[in-house]
Amino acid sequence: MGLVEEPVISISGLWMNYSDRMVLRGIDLKVFQGQIIGYIGPNGAGKSTTVKIMLGLVEGYNGKVEIFGRDIADGDTAYKRRIGYVPEVAELYDSLTAREYLTFIGELYGLKRSSADNKAERLMTLLGLEKSYDMRIASYSKGMKQKVLLISSMLHDPDILFLDEPLSGLDANSVMIVKEIFASLAARGKTIFYSSHIMDVVEKISSRIILIDAGSIVADGSFAELKEKSAEGSLEEIFNQLTGFDKYRDIAGEFVACMQEVSPV
Amino acid sequence: MNDFLVLKLLDRLRSGFRRIGVDYDLMRSILQVKLTMDGRRTPTVLAGAQKREQNKDSSPIRVHWLYLLLGLVLIALIVQKDHYMMQMSLIFGVVMFMITTTLISDFSSVMLDLRDKNILFSKPVNRITLNMAKSIHVMIYLVTITLTLTGPSLVVSLFSQGILFFVIYGIIIILMDCLILVITALLYLLIMKFFDGEKLKDIINYVQILLTIGITVGYQLISRLFNITELGLSFKPAWWQYFIAPVWFAAPFELLLGGGRATYLIVLTVLAVVIPLLLMAVYLKLIPLFERSLQKLAEQGSSGRDSARLAGWLSNVFCRNREEGMFFRFTWSMMKNERDFKLKVYPSIGFSIVFPFIFLFNMVWGEGSGIAKDSKAYLFIYFSALLMQTVVLMLRYSASYKGAWIYKLIPLPETVPIYRGMLKAALLRLLLPLFAVEAVLFIWLFGMRIIPDLAAVLCALLIYSVICFRVLPQALPFSERFEAVKQKEFTTSSFILIAILMVLAGIHYIFTTFSAGVYIYLVILVIANILIWRITFPQSDSHTGHISHFQG
Repeated sequence: MGLVEEPVISISGLWMNYSDRMVLRGIDLKVFQGQIIGYIGPNGAGKSTTVKIMLGLVEGYNGKVEIFGRDIADGDTAYKRRIGYVPEVAELYDSLTAREYLTFIGELYGLKRSSADNKAERLMTLLGLEKSYDMRIASYSKGMKQKVLLISSMLHDPDILFLDEPLSGLDANSVMIVKEIFASLAARGKTIFYSSHIMDVVEKISSRIILIDAGSIVADGSFAELKEKSAEGSLEEIFNQLTGFDKYRDIAGEFVACMQEVSPV
Repeated sequence: MNDFLVLKLLDRLRSGFRRIGVDYDLMRSILQVKLTMDGRRTPTVLAGAQKREQNKDSSPIRVHWLYLLLGLVLIALIVQKDHYMMQMSLIFGVVMFMITTTLISDFSSVMLDLRDKNILFSKPVNRITLNMAKSIHVMIYLVTITLTLTGPSLVVSLFSQGILFFVIYGIIIILMDCLILVITALLYLLIMKFFDGEKLKDIINYVQILLTIGITVGYQLISRLFNITELGLSFKPAWWQYFIAPVWFAAPFELLLGGGRATYLIVLTVLAVVIPLLLMAVYLKLIPLFERSLQKLAEQGSSGRDSARLAGWLSNVFCRNREEGMFFRFTWSMMKNERDFKLKVYPSIGFSIVFPFIFLFNMVWGEGSGIAKDSKAYLFIYFSALLMQTVVLMLRYSASYKGAWIYKLIPLPETVPIYRGMLKAALLRLLLPLFAVEAVLFIWLFGMRIIPDLAAVLCALLIYSVICFRVLPQALPFSERFEAVKQKEFTTSSFILIAILMVLAGIHYIFTTFSAGVYIYLVILVIANILIWRITFPQSDSHTGHISHFQG
């Protein structure tokens, strides 16, 4: 990486509150080309909110968010053309067929209808969904829907990918393919920014891990760096330690005790 | 995907859209996708498996024959020339009611699509294009209903009332649409301001019931309204009429065509023009607020504790054993919470409330006299049980039908307690409250003397419910998907069941022809009830409740 390299994402002093509670408390973050960033944290830590702010889905934040060197608040949506997004919940128009949906998404990203259709069909075939291409998405399994979402986020060859639980519902073989895709995209200078709760995956594929808790970044670095700072071994344990969660044994114990109580009939 | 005619028409305005900063091709794609989805609002499992089915997508702009019929009926109102205030108020009253309720009940799911935000906003599409696509989508829908309703009378008015009338009518219809659109949007905004998304969906539910009742009653009343207009009632403005929108819209006709020059006409005309435009301006200012409130829809509302206590108490009183009580409470809460169930069943509640009265008033009007205190017209109350066949049929369907694996997993000794609990829950939750309301109204109309008869009716309806259960195909509650509803199967059984209901009413009538007959009938019914419940739901030997000793 050259010294003069500009960050593709630059966030400084990002605060956000939803009506009554603070979701983000001063996030500062610079992301560079070719990084695969695992964005992790407990439920409700502010992961999705950060991503949604960068995509322009959530407004009313304080602070500065720059993508490709431009402030996203300037009203120009052109930067979104170079971004791909897989939302957390499988949110897609599932009464459409994959052909209709993917072609539509391609058009929204500025592709021509025919080339979007053609590309989508080839990508679907590569992921083993060629037979389902003309079926309505509503009839798909969870993993198939996830594949459609992944394809829809990459159809236009974006420079940054925002992925929320990108591997959920995929079988082991598909997980291998998708991980390999991420690695080769990163090698070509694309940036991948994803969040996940599966620590093993994050540990293995991220070049950089950012841990966020209660709206602030509590750890940032490669897995090796995090491991040095922490006494614990696995990312799971580091996660527990940094988020101040050490009671899992107690809770599990109480849970089982409660479960086995003889209910009064 | 079809290439819709509407879009081809829009293509002509391409350069106009471009000039105001809309990316026309993108907007067209969005609209095409939206219209396609409207046509497929109920996705079926097999859909897409067969390519041919794809072409059968129903048009999103389905011209409802009922609306067209109503539109044709309005012609009769438009051709009269003497009482513009009266006839136009009526027309606009009917049209506004129909359009508003349709917009709220049918189109809300389209206007409030939560997926739009994630799918469309994350793409490089500018806001003007998105907002324009949304507005045009709503407009296509609104214009279609409006034209179906007012089209026939609009065309006829050109020939019978002349060009000036036609032009005024056209302009007023546009103003009316603006008003309706804004009122609907503001209503949503208001509801979402104070309640969560769940509440909004409930309210949409209630509007649907209102719509059903409105159509039924309106259909009955319209023919009678002609008589009133022919009587030549003159219009006398009262203060409250300044608040009724259809009256505003009628005023310009009287002012410009009828030769009225009264001050109130001028005031009303000004209202008709200014209020819609003013509200439209307010609405345009509020659109961003609207978008933000939409997020609230997705949030899970902090609903208070459900009244599990009532269901628990009722299940203790009315159920024989644990399994039955369990399924009583399950059915009870599912009926309360399953929105699709309510959507399918509540309209028939509307019918069931209204039908007895329609028959009653038809008879009264036919005879031209008031309700004779000694008449037997109260037997029309039997029609309130029309609801039961829909309920019993619909109890097996659920949007979350996949949850039915639970039946296979839990160790259930037999299915009898399930069905008995289910039917009892349906009776107590839906039929009995409805019957109680009707009974009170009927007692008010006919006097205390019909109380023994009503008791007999209640017993007969209990029997009828069991008959419904036996005639209709049985299935575990909430275990099948809605799309599986087989219309044909239902139609045949439906006619049989209506016939049975009439027979029950007929038998009742025979017993009323001799003195104390109703008491004999009552005794017979009680015995029949016990028998039919015992036979349909044979008592199990093993699990007879030590939990509850109450008899059902």
